[in-house]
Amino acid sequence: MDPTEVEFLAEKEIVKIIPNFSLDKIYLIGGDLGPFNPGLPVQVPVWLALNLKQRQKCRILPPQWMDVDKLEEVREMERKEDSFTPPPSPYYMELTKLLLNHASDNIPKADEIRTLVKDIWDTRIAKLRLSADSFISQQEAHAKLDNLTLMEINTTRSFLLGSLNCMFKLRSNMQPGTSTGKGPDY
Amino acid sequence: MPCERKPMRYGHSEGHTDVTFDDAGKFIVTCGSDGDVRIWESLDDDDPRSINVGEKAYSLALKKRKLVTAGSNNTVQIHTFPEGDPDGILTRFTTHATHVAFNHSGSRVAAGSSDFMVKVVEVADSSQQKTLRGHDAPVLSVTFDPKDELLYPGCSRPCNLTVVVHLQTKVTSWPVLQKSNDVSTAKSLCRLGWQPKTAKLLAVPVGLKVHLYERDSWEHVSTLSDDMMTQPINVVAWSPCGQLLAAGSVGGFLTVWNAESKLCVERQKHEKGYTVCGLAWHPSGRQLAYTDTQGSLGLLDDLPTASSATKTPKAPAVKAANDYDDLFDEDDDRAMDEGLSDTHSPAKRPVAGGDDDDDDDLMPATGRVKNRSSFLDDENSLGTTVAPPTGPSLPLRPAYEGPLPTLPQKPFQPGSTPAHLTHRFMTWNSVGVVRGYNDDQDNAVDVEFHDTAVHHAMHLTNALGHTLADLSQEAVLLACPATDELASKLQCLHFSSWDANKEWIVDLPAGEDVRALVLGQGWAAAATSARTLRLFTVGGVQKEIFSLPGHVVSMAAHGEQLLVVYHRGTGFDGDQALGVQLLQLGRRKRQVIHGEPLPLSCKAHLAWLGFTAEGTPCYVDSEGVVRMLNRSLGNTWTPVCNTRETCKGKSDHFWVVAVHENPQQLRCIPCKGSRYPPTLPRPAVAILPFKLPLCQTTTEKGQMEEQYWRSTLLQNHYSFLSSSGYEIDDEGQNQNQKEQQELLMKMFALSCKLEREFRCMELAELMTQSVVTLAVRYASRSRRMNLAQRLNELAMEKANQLQEEQEQEEEEVQEEEHHTPRSLNPFARGAAASPEKPSPKPRKSPSQSRVSNVLDSMTSVRRPAPLGGPSGKQSKGPVLKPLAPKPKTKMQSTLLQMATSKAANKKAQVNPEPAADRLKQPEVPPPDLPVEDSENQKPRTGFQLWLEENRKSILADSPDLQETDVIKAAMGSFRSLSAEDRLSWTERAKGQSGEAADLKKRKRVEEAGEGDESRVKADENIAKKKKSLDTTAKLSAFAFNKN
Repeated sequence: MDPTEVEFLAEKEIVKIIPNFSLDKIYLIGGDLGPFNPGLPVQVPVWLALNLKQRQKCRILPPQWMDVDKLEEVREMERKEDSFTPPPSPYYMELTKLLLNHASDNIPKADEIRTLVKDIWDTRIAKLRLSADSFISQQEAHAKLDNLTLMEINTTRSFLLGSLNCMFKLRSNMQPGTSTGKGPDY
Repeated sequence: MPCERKPMRYGHSEGHTDVTFDDAGKFIVTCGSDGDVRIWESLDDDDPRSINVGEKAYSLALKKRKLVTAGSNNTVQIHTFPEGDPDGILTRFTTHATHVAFNHSGSRVAAGSSDFMVKVVEVADSSQQKTLRGHDAPVLSVTFDPKDELLYPGCSRPCNLTVVVHLQTKVTSWPVLQKSNDVSTAKSLCRLGWQPKTAKLLAVPVGLKVHLYERDSWEHVSTLSDDMMTQPINVVAWSPCGQLLAAGSVGGFLTVWNAESKLCVERQKHEKGYTVCGLAWHPSGRQLAYTDTQGSLGLLDDLPTASSATKTPKAPAVKAANDYDDLFDEDDDRAMDEGLSDTHSPAKRPVAGGDDDDDDDLMPATGRVKNRSSFLDDENSLGTTVAPPTGPSLPLRPAYEGPLPTLPQKPFQPGSTPAHLTHRFMTWNSVGVVRGYNDDQDNAVDVEFHDTAVHHAMHLTNALGHTLADLSQEAVLLACPATDELASKLQCLHFSSWDANKEWIVDLPAGEDVRALVLGQGWAAAATSARTLRLFTVGGVQKEIFSLPGHVVSMAAHGEQLLVVYHRGTGFDGDQALGVQLLQLGRRKRQVIHGEPLPLSCKAHLAWLGFTAEGTPCYVDSEGVVRMLNRSLGNTWTPVCNTRETCKGKSDHFWVVAVHENPQQLRCIPCKGSRYPPTLPRPAVAILPFKLPLCQTTTEKGQMEEQYWRSTLLQNHYSFLSSSGYEIDDEGQNQNQKEQQELLMKMFALSCKLEREFRCMELAELMTQSVVTLAVRYASRSRRMNLAQRLNELAMEKANQLQEEQEQEEEEVQEEEHHTPRSLNPFARGAAASPEKPSPKPRKSPSQSRVSNVLDSMTSVRRPAPLGGPSGKQSKGPVLKPLAPKPKTKMQSTLLQMATSKAANKKAQVNPEPAADRLKQPEVPPPDLPVEDSENQKPRTGFQLWLEENRKSILADSPDLQETDVIKAAMGSFRSLSAEDRLSWTERAKGQSGEAADLKKRKRVEEAGEGDESRVKADENIAKKKKSLDTTAKLSAFAFNKN
């Protein structure tokens, strides 16, 4: 899966916006949205929020977890624990990127949040690499990882599978009994 | 009072504090429970130097550049002063030291501790210590006498005071003090005071008095007291001259006596009534610094000196003062604060008798002050020159213990934050936000609209210093108070104007300040400090002006309505006395509310004033209670919500910005730990629901009652809007009414279930006629014949009333056509208060009387009814007739059935089991139903008839069906009936009245023994069987349908 696809999925997440226009309820396949009252917070999907924001039709209210204190807490937890802690949001990386790129003026302490989320991301990716490494070095057949987000799985998938394939080929070549033919591709 | 009490200022965090002056009187030094010693250059010093001495500092003493503190780490430390470098630890205790004191020369320090010990330490050599044991209670305070020999630890538990001579011998003790186990529980700190210089007297605070003991003899020579002292005295301090004794008490009273005359020369009350725990005289004797247990520091300035305090009667006061000033003209002019004393200062009085020179020298006022102050300084240094005390002391202030007046609240703009903030909301309403910035870089006003379609955001430089703002769809109104040069101005940015001039400014007359302003639709209003209310058009034309009965508090506007709240008088005991006026400023100007008192919560003030989006006046008080005008109850105010109930924390508040009635929303900004939101980060609006504070809203009954009354209250605006000629949302109103009637029906069902038939009747009286018929049906189905009968009567009554009203309306319309041919408005009835149209009251009263006639006749009919069964049945026929008399109601009847089933459905949800029980009772179905059916001349299908009969059973089977589902289910089971049965039903439908009745009778006879339950079961069985019967049955159903 492409990161853009994951981002696309993340755009279905709901955020609160404060519109500066008024509009009745709109009826969409995904559900009804609105009514939009100027000055009154309303919940919409991220894609609509960003669209409205780009047209300067609304202010985006940052999601609850997008708060310096809370993210610091999450970061500390993430650093302390060996396993993965539950992410602040299943799409935390994508949402942070989307919201901070398009609506950083509506989010207090945007830079700090960007840094914190990056820290969390780095920590988690490091853990992921570490676990992949031990998975391979111990030659395990399967492993279980909890609390991974879609984006994280996708970042590591292509590399991990590719390298596993590669290793399989190498190993099968080394074994004297087997033929020089290709091993099955995963 | 002649002395000046400077305002208290924050010194330390809350807790015990102590204060002293340095030797030269240049600094005030305080210590507090935050562990800091602060050195203040003056009371106004905003950046005092802090020396941290530990976790807490209990006491300090200062002499000769040495600062000794008793801290919570059980030590007595020494620091250099004023540098604040630590200079070692003098001594240690096993618990913390309570008080430290220097001797006169500054060579020794005495420290008392809670571990019953007193230590005397040489400052130069801390190894030379002397420990005094033998006390059997914590030592409250210690002091050296000026002759450096004696130490007097005040000791708490054995209730006495001990004197030790030469640090060796216990001389005497007085059992005067109150018992206490610890310093923290002691009622009084009992700080002692030795008279300086002469060292003759020792002052000991004992309860409400100060005892003076004589040196050597240790006898109690006199007592100083004051009637104003109501709580124990905590600290005493002698003035440097030794003449005056100051005392501070638990309740925050400060009193200064002249020790010789024993007269009170000065009395002050702590501004917040906190306990005074530290007291120190300035070496000049003119200032008295004090601290309280809340960590604040205060100062009494310009105290009378000893000599001036002993005053003579003020006979030729002013003149003599002038003379006296002449005498001292030659004296050096020492810089002194000007304006410290006015002509009533006691400083002048002592001279009154002394000089009789009548030489009127016209000295400039400032010069006089200077001279006088120099004179006072002279007095001070002499210390002993005394005029004999002749008159009585200050006249005792009459002790007033009644209710105390409240400070009237200041005027405010609804939706604004306090004016002292540098970044503030000048107003936040449903149109937009006006923010004011007033900091170093910028003095500006930002206007932002919620809906950018109204206007784009504006940024204005605030050159005039506007403090008030209001915003509407048409304009921005700003106002500034008057300054020395400029008059108070009203500025309007009329952005919706179609010409090129979008702005106008009006100067108010001199001496008049704008206090509150508001924008209506096409007009603006400004209330001024001259208690006038000025009206303008939005284009700047001056209109009416009228006077308000009191100072304005706030104003709000909606359309043509203007709501003014003002001070009606003085409130007492924390309450505000506010009055409210509601004016209509449309074509027909009138006052709707004539200055009635505005109800507020106990000790609350007004926090927000406004209209709902629908135009109902509404306000919020500081306790968070939202009240709304109830126009249908004689313009009373009904509490509709308490925002504090939804707050999580105690100090959280909701800052209301708008109220909507439809949908029911209270738009407000949650403020965590404050009353007002900050401008940054931009607060988000939250929505609170309304909730009337009815009783027992946890029960189902209470809930429904609350819902019903809330719905009725919030529906009032429809009638108001229609009466004032606005368009109204008919659909919304109908839906509202339907909801109310549904609620009534639910409550009715609930009361029925609880066997409260009287209550049922009461509820039925609130229902509309059509719903009463439903109630009749419900009651009869649930076998409450008595109730059903009464309800029937009520229904008829209501029907009659309705008819009469309609007739009247027609008449009215006709009349109106005669009077004013153009107003054909059917809603005009509501606006009947106008003088042109005939007033509604005379018309209504005949209708009521007619109703009562109906009632009378009803009762006469009713009476014979219960006597005999048959006669009752006979009477039922005619009673029931008017239920469906007109074709119009026939149309309704089908709708009503839907509603019935709904109501029944809901009831069934509430309690399906009893319903089933009732069904089980083998009883004849109520006879009135078929009768009613037969009365209905509308052609019906057999299915409809069948449905009516069987609806109940279907509902009983599956109580949570919706109306459409019920019909579907019914359709299914009807189809599954045998063909014969269906045929019989269709025939009945065709044949209607007579035949159908016959059929029914037959059927009833058949089923009489079995009862409903068995019938239901039978039906079910049939249904099950017939379901297996395939297409033929379905086809036949089709055939039937075609029939």
